Amino acid sequence: MTEVIANDVRLHVQRLTPKGGAATDAPVVVMVHGMVMDNMSSFYFALGTWLADAGCDVICYDLRGHGRSERTAAGYQLADSLADLTGLLDVLGVDRPVHVVGNSYGATMALAYGLESSDRVASLTLIEPPFLIEGLGEEMARSLSEILVAMSDEEVAGWIEDGAGRVAGRALRSARRLIGETTIATDMLATPPFSRDALAALPVPVLAVYGENSDIIGQAEGLAALVPDCTLVILAHHTHMVLREATAFLRVLLGWWLLDRDAPQPEFHPPTERRFETPEWVTQMVPPPNLARPEIAQKLST
Amino acid sequence: MSGTSGVAQADRTSIEAQVLGEVAEDLREVIGEEYSLDLEITAETTFSQDLELESIEFVALADRLRERYGDPVDFVGFLAKMDVDQVINMHVGEVVQFIVDSLRAPASAGSA
Repeated sequence: MTEVIANDVRLHVQRLTPKGGAATDAPVVVMVHGMVMDNMSSFYFALGTWLADAGCDVICYDLRGHGRSERTAAGYQLADSLADLTGLLDVLGVDRPVHVVGNSYGATMALAYGLESSDRVASLTLIEPPFLIEGLGEEMARSLSEILVAMSDEEVAGWIEDGAGRVAGRALRSARRLIGETTIATDMLATPPFSRDALAALPVPVLAVYGENSDIIGQAEGLAALVPDCTLVILAHHTHMVLREATAFLRVLLGWWLLDRDAPQPEFHPPTERRFETPEWVTQMVPPPNLARPEIAQKLST
Repeated sequence: MSGTSGVAQADRTSIEAQVLGEVAEDLREVIGEEYSLDLEITAETTFSQDLELESIEFVALADRLRERYGDPVDFVGFLAKMDVDQVINMHVGEVVQFIVDSLRAPASAGSA
């Protein structure tokens, strides 16, 4: 396992390159996964190996507390995540601007990184970023509470433990430990909203991708309206889980964005065999949740 | 491959057995001894159903295999042709075959 110490945290990193190594001018791509129930493997298999094979120099890593990276007790605020990423690029010796590709919370983080460290960023690809000018912390906490609902529901938990076996059971236990044993929930609530002025001056190109049936599709237009150089792609028949659902198209889209942007933008043909819909328990959540509710705390501790 | 002579076939069989042993060794390390001690790993073993391998564990396995076999075995190119479900639904034997094919390919030949 490849491990580095960045910003005093032990991070699990995988560097993927084409056969024979990446060209010296190959795009360096950093992939930032979503929170709690996710780790680098979602990007590694969906886009990482494919983009590396196509010529990119790809860096996948597990965020602090996730996958095979160190689960520190604290340090899950957005500023900590950005410092971890800067530390990672420094320790890897990456001195060229990087293309940051983020999914869900990882996309929100990527956008914040582009604002904070635009000199280190060549472009941003934001897949389903929760994005709000006001109340972003509550939105992040809402996402977290959705996970809590999924974990807390006895029927779901039973199904996971019995039917889905070792894999889902371990993912569930891992997420429980992350939420129960670290400050991630309160740190998420503290996520500062984006500044309208800063976004209007964002100097890097942005590719934003949303699913038409996503529970946060309402945030897409606001993002595209504020960021000066934004290419917005909305995928019909897809949800917040586009990375998993529309892997094949995202490979083509990212190949165009990173390697061949002078060519015409790839067209999306929605799947006819299956339409993806956001489940009701996600859409019916009422923000903002009170994560300190005793019944939630109790469920977490069991 | 057609037209393989008997001698070459015997050679391949022994290489396959050796590679299977090496893949199984890396798999046991990734899964952890406690769980894998009494686990028989054959070419027919599946990563998802038999081993219940998590996708992050497959990342760790690929990392070990990349380190073990080096440049001649292009795991990145191999995995690039699949999505996560196809990867995790593979048999151990499919990975072994890929490694053996890569190791036996002449260094000058391009990949297909």
